[in-house]
Amino acid sequence: MTNRRDFLKLSALAVAATSGMPGFLARAAAQAGGHKTLVVIQLTGGNDGLNTLIPYTNGAYYAARPNIAIPRKDVLTVTGDLGMHPSLRPLMSLWDGGKLAWMENVGYPNPNRSHFASMAIWHTADPTQAQAEGWIGRLAEQIGDPFCASNVGGSTPQALRASDFSLPSIESTDNFQLKLPDGMQTPFQSMLNSPRTGEAAYLTRATRQMLKNTARVQENAKKYRAGATYPQTRFAGQLREAARLIAAGVGQRVLYVSLGGFDTHAGQRAEQDALLSTLAEGLAAFQTDLEKQGVARDVVVMGFSEFGRRVAENGSAGTDHGKGSVMFALGQGVKGGVHGSSPDLEKLSDGDIMYKQDFRGVYAEALTKWLNLNAREILGGSFTGPSWLA
Amino acid sequence: MSLSPLPRTLTAEDAAHFLRRTAFGASDAQIRALVGQDARTVAKAALAFDQTLAQGNPFDPLQGASPGASIQLTRGAWLYELVYGPHPLREKLALTWSNHFVVGTDKVRNAPALAGYLALLRRHAASDSFERFTLEIAQSPAMLRYLDNDQNRKGRPNENFSRELLELFTTGIGPYTEADVREGARALTGWTYVGGRGNRQYLDEPKFVFQAGQFDGGRKTYLGQSGNLRGEDIVRLATAHPATATFVARKLHRAFVADTPDEQAVAGSAETWRRTKGNVGAVLEELLSSEAFYTSRARIIRSPIEFIVGALRTLGQPQFDAKTLLNLTQTAGRMGQLLLEPDTVKGWDGGREWINDSTLLLRLQVAAGLTLTSKAPNLSEPPSLLAMTGQERPAAAVLLSSLKGRQRTYLGMISPEFQLA
Repeated sequence: MTNRRDFLKLSALAVAATSGMPGFLARAAAQAGGHKTLVVIQLTGGNDGLNTLIPYTNGAYYAARPNIAIPRKDVLTVTGDLGMHPSLRPLMSLWDGGKLAWMENVGYPNPNRSHFASMAIWHTADPTQAQAEGWIGRLAEQIGDPFCASNVGGSTPQALRASDFSLPSIESTDNFQLKLPDGMQTPFQSMLNSPRTGEAAYLTRATRQMLKNTARVQENAKKYRAGATYPQTRFAGQLREAARLIAAGVGQRVLYVSLGGFDTHAGQRAEQDALLSTLAEGLAAFQTDLEKQGVARDVVVMGFSEFGRRVAENGSAGTDHGKGSVMFALGQGVKGGVHGSSPDLEKLSDGDIMYKQDFRGVYAEALTKWLNLNAREILGGSFTGPSWLA
Repeated sequence: MSLSPLPRTLTAEDAAHFLRRTAFGASDAQIRALVGQDARTVAKAALAFDQTLAQGNPFDPLQGASPGASIQLTRGAWLYELVYGPHPLREKLALTWSNHFVVGTDKVRNAPALAGYLALLRRHAASDSFERFTLEIAQSPAMLRYLDNDQNRKGRPNENFSRELLELFTTGIGPYTEADVREGARALTGWTYVGGRGNRQYLDEPKFVFQAGQFDGGRKTYLGQSGNLRGEDIVRLATAHPATATFVARKLHRAFVADTPDEQAVAGSAETWRRTKGNVGAVLEELLSSEAFYTSRARIIRSPIEFIVGALRTLGQPQFDAKTLLNLTQTAGRMGQLLLEPDTVKGWDGGREWINDSTLLLRLQVAAGLTLTSKAPNLSEPPSLLAMTGQERPAAAVLLSSLKGRQRTYLGMISPEFQLA
């Protein structure tokens, strides 16, 4: 712990001194404790909620989707009216164990059908689109540690943007280290020390922060041996990196992983079926690994997409952009089951389901009950949602 | 107010700046050759490119043994053109347009369709008609496939292309309604392509066709105009909308002036755009000889491709074998920019989004590979500080001068200054 506190103080001072960043880092370094981790899964492109959690007794569902509806016989039944897409079979044991939750009918006021506007709303938790900072960036400011949340993957989503920096992105732990040739350490440091302004100053700051972050990860990450066989997908590989960071106790409270390709305007069945398999197989391996590492108690997963699809299929056996959709959560700390009621498919708004639960209520539950943070400050208001945590 | 021209002839730093922005960087000799010239003359000359391609390109996408291999060869061929081609500004513009009229190789798996798309971006790189450019893009098999308009049929509309035409290609979010998206989709019915479908036909050339039987000939209202509108009308109305001038001009400023463009300067280019009815070449010529362009220094974070191509051009275009070049296209992908495969249809946002711990580390590794390893090219003379940093006397000058050739080049290449254009 001493080590960690020293690191935080040092990094806080270094960053604050070079960037003129708000003093939040120095302010709260000491309260960065806590050992629970939230893993956020982003399904990019607008995942079709109706073909994920299927209202298999609803005639209106089958009437609206003659080609792409999931036949009742293929559905993995979870309630008297709802069933999971067959590709989600790897998650059935979690469901049976009461560790998988579905949040029905989640959205936000004045839904936006643009991928990018809608994703920005989920990232900033701001349906007015006035905020540039992400909700996880603001969370990091509240915790006061620039390393408390990381993206696992190539580029950093807006959710992890804070006022003047982005939180780390880690593609692969093994490559997450700088090997400077002999004799170059001092010139490199001196080069970074040259005074700079504007974007050059930003890059200097980013480089310094990177040096600190890589050192921190390398100190810990060697301890990990995977406790599950992960599928050969990029998504699963990123979950393995997330498991490694968690098991190594590197200290992130939030990890962020994305899976793209859900924009299924044509030939949806083949595309979404494959993507949901990738999702479920990856998450099942991740959960097994966490159990083996003995850290499953301290990790929950929360998944979302920027919107669902139109209720009726289009002429290309696909679906166009819709509004509300489902969210999911899994882990030992989750209260399994379906939270909220299914959308009314006969009372639509512009052909879309009408959302009933605000996603910020789902976020709020994670922030207050799991991470023990002030959700009101981070989300800019009070939101209540389903009690999806045990 | 259109943009004011640069009132002086080019200094060495002006010339270095111009070439960083329009040619991914340049050798010292190429920079010196522009010193003392008039800005308008320099911009005109750079924009007067033809369609000549690089000699000796080792990559031929039609030699690919599978769709995936053909796509890799397409990327390799493009990187070769970017590094060794005779018209870097044409390629810089093609790269910019590929990030505007986005298609992705996740869906477009046909090599001739990709080749046709790239040829179109080059031919219209400094187009005299944005409407014509947009129309040809809309009818290109690559775009028809990528945004599903090939499946858009009467009575069974597919809105994907119609939506992105407005949101991302012309007006941007704001000036249109959901009804415009739906009506646009109806007007674009029947635009599809024949040939080149499926994994086995990945070397066959697909061709645009208008299937009159699939066209919805009914009355529509789009952006306030009503009538029996056709796809051509939709493209014309969307590109002629006043908001399009500002929206696309801002993207040109993003590519050539600053990651965070100055809105007054954007308005100046938008005015020229509207006056010339979307003559992109005229807008670019004015922009690239303006005071606004020359005073905006070090305000663009180079993208991964710009970083790699910039490094190779700054090193004087040393020869690399085909395998190394292919590896570099993959490395650019790991740094966040796989050619012809942006993360989403919006394209890469760029700017500070290029920079995170992982991508910074990769930039350092690439720089080391190009300067310090046994595979690094032998240079008779390392690039000058001006070529590396755009400044004759950068803050780190003393330090850099004290190092030997390869180490100096390495340190220069990983400096914040080299990451910027």
